[in-house]
Amino acid sequence: MSTAKAVPLPNPESATPFYAAAAKIYPREISGRFSQLRRVAVLVLLGVFYGLAWVQWDGHQALLFDLPARKFHIFGLTLWPQDFLYLALLLIIAALSLFFFTALAGRLWCGYACPQTVWTELFVWIEQWTEGTRLHRMKLDRGPWTAEKLLRKSAKQLLWLALAAFTGFTFVGYFIPIRTLGPQIVAFSLGGWAGFWIVLYALATYGNAGFLREQVCKYMCPYARFQSAMFDKDTLIISYDEARGEPRGARRRGSDPRAQGLGDCIDCTLCVQVCPTGIDIRHGLQYECIACGACVDACDGVMDKMGTARGLIRYTTEQALQGARTRVLRPRMLVYATLLASATAVLLYSLFTRTPLILDVIRDRNALYRDVQGGRIENSYTLKVINLDGKAHSYRLTVQGMSGLQLMTPDGLIVVPPGSVSNIPARLAAPGDLAGGVHPIKLSLTAVDQPRIAVHEQTRFIGPSP
Amino acid sequence: MSSTTGMAAAARRRYWLDLALVLWPSFLASCFASLLFFAVVDPMLLRDAGPKLFANLDREAGYALGFFFFWVVGAVASGLSVYLIRTARNSAGPPEREPGA
Repeated sequence: MSTAKAVPLPNPESATPFYAAAAKIYPREISGRFSQLRRVAVLVLLGVFYGLAWVQWDGHQALLFDLPARKFHIFGLTLWPQDFLYLALLLIIAALSLFFFTALAGRLWCGYACPQTVWTELFVWIEQWTEGTRLHRMKLDRGPWTAEKLLRKSAKQLLWLALAAFTGFTFVGYFIPIRTLGPQIVAFSLGGWAGFWIVLYALATYGNAGFLREQVCKYMCPYARFQSAMFDKDTLIISYDEARGEPRGARRRGSDPRAQGLGDCIDCTLCVQVCPTGIDIRHGLQYECIACGACVDACDGVMDKMGTARGLIRYTTEQALQGARTRVLRPRMLVYATLLASATAVLLYSLFTRTPLILDVIRDRNALYRDVQGGRIENSYTLKVINLDGKAHSYRLTVQGMSGLQLMTPDGLIVVPPGSVSNIPARLAAPGDLAGGVHPIKLSLTAVDQPRIAVHEQTRFIGPSP
Repeated sequence: MSSTTGMAAAARRRYWLDLALVLWPSFLASCFASLLFFAVVDPMLLRDAGPKLFANLDREAGYALGFFFFWVVGAVASGLSVYLIRTARNSAGPPEREPGA
């Protein structure tokens, strides 16, 4: 442990000018509870991302945002531009969840779920596999361009590029059916825009996860700056127990630190070496900290070796550090939780009671009414019937609201294929002696096989002025 | 490193960071604007309503054009902000250390 004393690292406390080139950070490999947890999160999230694109549902891609057709397929559900409400609700729920979990447990999102973290982790695995451990990588970068360096560096770049390209391909596969996208690429028949977005997303992945890494969190991420607004003294943060650790200093294993006037921190700087954003957690909470827990794992390992209790660096709250009790149920949490629960309830309710049918009634613009055979008055309409469901339906049209009113056409059922719009001409007629003036009427459309799918639309029947 | 080359390097770095400060927030804003705008408006409607210039564009081109349009508008706003901050007489200049550090 004591050999790793001199660490060439940027010291965030020194007055680093904002415009100085950022020194490259070589995060040290680490194993422990939190890195294990992140490995699981990364594998699950990447598995979902790369895998879900290939899942089929009812003969179509389970999750497909079909922008050219302006339809979103989400398993059994097809959403149309008319369903904008759901998108708005979903965005609100996402924002509220972020508030809720940030207030509760700090930057969980950053440490385990943010795409920046997830892909950086993946790219770092490749880097460790091709270039070796932290010390190897630093030596390799300092050394001359030997055949081995060339081989290791180009292997890393090739793997990175391949992974980035596949990521771009998968991403676009959520917008253009991925099973047709592959053959199109092989046959060089890919549409220009699809190719453009694949390349753009691949480059973004390569740049963000390969090169920018922690700089995205430090310089580009707005959440990193405003998350502190959701923090309070009861929020879980990663913290160094200063009261226990200071004064820090090297000591012989097994010697009593208190007798030497020392705290528990042996100043091995491992917590700094493993930090992906290159900060020293012992300087207190900093906005660069993405709460990944790498320093906790490193310090726990050292404490185990020194025979002292774990938790010199740990997940804790400001309250707990000051010896007070942490309150989980506090007004802020209750407000966030209530808002989150209500938004989710509204979304679920409206999804489950959603009628997958839209009826628009447009009156004939050419004539208010026509006199037809038998002294009857006739009005013409165009019905725009949109079947939002995933399967075809037959609908029965009925009219109410006026005595003697009869439906002339359509005289049978209206059949609309799944996810389609049909324009149906309709004619209504009423006896001349009853038809005078303007009558508000109601048109109803009901699916024959599922009476629950029904819509009603108000319109007018117009006859000669009485 | 002599101080002049150091200053040149800092100026170069400052140039790139300013560029990032202009392009990145406008990119985020453009993503958000495109999402909301095209959720409600079909680009085909705009083509039919717009000048002949766009007559041959399909829907995907409409999305892309819209996205870049929002990006450019956002970049103009960000660019003006950065420019006004940098050229103000009382500008404190670049901060000595990173905010919050």
